[in-house]
Amino acid sequence: MSAIELPKEQHLIEYRVDRILEEANTDTRIVVLARLDGVLDTFPIWVGAAEGNAIKLALDTMITPRPMSHDLVKSFAEHLNITIQRVVIADVKSSTYYAIVHVANKGVERTIDARPSDAISLALRAPCPIYITQDVLNRRSTTNLDAWLSKLESKDIGTPEVHET
Amino acid sequence: MLNWHVLDQSAKRVTNTSSEPFREELRDQFVMITQMHVKGLMFDPYNNAYIVVLRDEEHSDMLPIWVGKSEAGAISMSLENVTPPRPMTHDFMKSFLDAYNAKVISVVITDLSEHTYFAKIHLMYEDSEYTVDARPSDAIALALRSNAPVFANNSVITKQSSEELEQWLENLKPEDFGKLDS
Repeated sequence: MSAIELPKEQHLIEYRVDRILEEANTDTRIVVLARLDGVLDTFPIWVGAAEGNAIKLALDTMITPRPMSHDLVKSFAEHLNITIQRVVIADVKSSTYYAIVHVANKGVERTIDARPSDAISLALRAPCPIYITQDVLNRRSTTNLDAWLSKLESKDIGTPEVHET
Repeated sequence: MLNWHVLDQSAKRVTNTSSEPFREELRDQFVMITQMHVKGLMFDPYNNAYIVVLRDEEHSDMLPIWVGKSEAGAISMSLENVTPPRPMTHDFMKSFLDAYNAKVISVVITDLSEHTYFAKIHLMYEDSEYTVDARPSDAIALALRSNAPVFANNSVITKQSSEELEQWLENLKPEDFGKLDS
């Protein structure tokens, strides 16, 4: 990312949106991020239905008759000549992820706090890269997607892990 | 583009004072607008949707706008002054504009076509004004967070009046409104 040596925890690993999974009978969607550099790794993020749909619209490059919320943010950026540089999933507290959107305008860089769903939704539309810090990858919960999926395939479909990762 | 209504926000209602009828090519510039207030949110059980109720100062005009559940949530949070633990989409939107000191001057519900409303957000940034197309729900949610006035083109209010929906709304009793109605 930069010439300055960062501590390893702050290294940024680039991910892409792989797919959006629907959870049957719940108001929840799972955004599955996949690592870009060839290392096999998926990173699931549980989001609300509306947030999941906003990401899905961008992922499917659906054109909506009216601008959706994140199209509007992109439109603000275009009008004001703000460049959306990257989004970073930068923190996790109590199984909740926190994201930062990096923007620039005439050489002035700013960061904006966001939910990962808003950050990802905007990143797909900008478009700009999506990163996860090494620190967040180290500290993510051990419940991985495969385990969750295998559970989903069984008859016992509960929702205890909806807010976990 | 001439946005005179922004210059005179005190004008509750602007009418054509000249005796000349508006020329067609000037129509877009000389639209008549009315300031509206967000009176509250209602649940519409028939369509399983929410209605944002806008009224003008004199309560003579009402503009109901149907919105989805998450959009209603975004507006209701503002009306109730709830600060969420994490920024919701429109809080993020506001932060995005704040990051470069861009201000929302006003939002205008501009058009109604096939039961769909359209809105415009007027921004001020570095001495220039920008007009951005938006859904009314986004425009209203952002206006409430920015303390910016909400206007509606009179043509939209008139069109709405001609629809049967208004009658249904007029027959609603105050208790049918949610607690947000003041």
